[in-house]
Amino acid sequence: MLDKAFDELKKYDWGVDPKVLKPIDEAAVASHGNAAERGKLEEQLAAVLASDAPRAAKDYVCRKLMRIGTAACVPALAALVADKELSHMARYALERIPAGEAATALRDAMGKVGGELKIGVIASLGARGDRESIVLLAKELGASDPAVSRAAALALGAIPGGVSAAALEKFKVQDGEPTVAATDAKLACAEGLLATGKKSEALAVYKGLAGEGQPKHVRLAATRGMLACAGK
Amino acid sequence: MGIRQTPTRREFVKVASAAVAAPYVITSAALGNAERAPASERIVMGGIGIGNMGRGDQGAFLGRGDVQYVATCDVRRGAREGAKDNANKKYGNSDCKAYVDFREILARDDIDAVHVATPDHWHAIMIIEACRHGKDVYCQKPEMRTLREGPLMIEAARRYSRVVSGGSQRVLEDYRGIVNKCWGGEAGPVKSINVQVGPLSQPCNLPAESKPDDMEWDLWLGPAPWAPYNKQRCDGNFGTSGNSWRSYIDYSGGGMTDWGAHHFGGATYAVDVREMQPTEVEYRNEDGKQYLAFHYENGITIFHNKPGVGNMHVEFAEAGQAEGKPVPAYKGTGGIYGDFIECVKTRERPFRDIELAVNTMVVPLTGTVAYSLERSLKWDRASQQFVGDEEANRMLDRARREPWQI
Repeated sequence: MLDKAFDELKKYDWGVDPKVLKPIDEAAVASHGNAAERGKLEEQLAAVLASDAPRAAKDYVCRKLMRIGTAACVPALAALVADKELSHMARYALERIPAGEAATALRDAMGKVGGELKIGVIASLGARGDRESIVLLAKELGASDPAVSRAAALALGAIPGGVSAAALEKFKVQDGEPTVAATDAKLACAEGLLATGKKSEALAVYKGLAGEGQPKHVRLAATRGMLACAGK
Repeated sequence: MGIRQTPTRREFVKVASAAVAAPYVITSAALGNAERAPASERIVMGGIGIGNMGRGDQGAFLGRGDVQYVATCDVRRGAREGAKDNANKKYGNSDCKAYVDFREILARDDIDAVHVATPDHWHAIMIIEACRHGKDVYCQKPEMRTLREGPLMIEAARRYSRVVSGGSQRVLEDYRGIVNKCWGGEAGPVKSINVQVGPLSQPCNLPAESKPDDMEWDLWLGPAPWAPYNKQRCDGNFGTSGNSWRSYIDYSGGGMTDWGAHHFGGATYAVDVREMQPTEVEYRNEDGKQYLAFHYENGITIFHNKPGVGNMHVEFAEAGQAEGKPVPAYKGTGGIYGDFIECVKTRERPFRDIELAVNTMVVPLTGTVAYSLERSLKWDRASQQFVGDEEANRMLDRARREPWQI
């Protein structure tokens, strides 16, 4: 049954009934706790990524590897991050695979992709809370593409703390969305600092956002933060 | 109005200040009357996702004298233009504008609040972005598609002191009798309640069809994986058996989260665990019949699809006393919509405040993971993680398609 399902997978395209792949779904659940079985399944799935199987087949594989993938399948996924059609689904797996190799692959991809694909990689690093990417993300704050700059700010906000806050202080105010994102990230960092008892650092961030030039809801957030720093 | 942003930035004031050559006339519509608040006191609103549920939500807000409805947004031209015409006809003007991209609505400084009724995979992004832009939000249920989205939505709402209400009118309106019985105390302490709802959503692999000219398909997909257009993939009907987006995992949790938002919302309200999240999801399989038991720290259990037990059936303890307590209800007038608008004015928390909505949605979403893995799971609210189950924790979230991010 499983072998037949893998045969079906090689030609799995849009419009094919997903039930033909059910034995693979069942094997993924049944192999819980059996590293050897899981490893074999992972290997078979990863092999499809390097084949000329249809996009729908590779989409399916990435969904399965998101659930059961380990460091072993990371190279096969990493090879797709720069592929415009498959980049998202490669991240779909890489973002959720706990192995450090997955984070490394995403960091490595930062230098290989641009535009929207880079935004996706940045978002995945943020979602992973990958502290090792803070320096890389900080550099992207100054990207010429405002959408990349915005993505980097949001990702830093997802890894809140003093290091991200310091990076965000260097953010140069731009019109529109990058500034909205950077402001949100700074507030997230201030909350993180406050939660870990670093009141003076948090207060400095809040003070920087409490000025008249800020929108009212931001000033309100900053004022509430300052009161919290003062223990009120 | 407390900390409410000032009403001085309303549209008609802008018009007045810009009117250099023409004489400025304050119309009766701007001054208000018995049914209509003065323009300066109206909540200025826009709607995002204005199809089936969105159109109904628009009608509810449009019918209120304390709301000025100025913007509609939908990826389908017919939906957004129809909703725009609806508003302009109501007001007898052409002030309401239609947008394809929700970010244009959020960028408008004159808009105080938005209602969101897109497919579920968009909800968290829109709620969080709206908060970042200082808007209050009424969002249709189910408010979230993944477990990680819940705390991020709460965080955004609290960070900016926004009023964010979930949208399940049935929680209060359908289950009042059960709620009154449980909260009244006469029946004794509650032991458990059962929710019958389903099914889970399924993978979608429908074939490509030619896309209608009036639809922005890439924007409909948004953060979901790319897939070819197919009418059944994106149809907004309320079915969950394959002919609508509610059937498919990329956009919905199926009946489990769709009607589940109502039923689990009613159940958590009835047995008074709305402020809590379950600590354990027990997976049971009896003679091939799968069902779940969600256990709470106060000893109460919510069952899902327990065999032989009806929907919203409450089991009371055989012994013990329960004291009656006042039942929380809507504020203002006009059901859940009025509750939201009242809270926008007063800055109170609405009946289905986003935190309570998240607590509800954690039930079917953790349950979906348990069904998917076919095993019991422990849930830690503080860390928002499954305890000791790395595979389950992978399912807390999913990567969003570029350029979307939360």
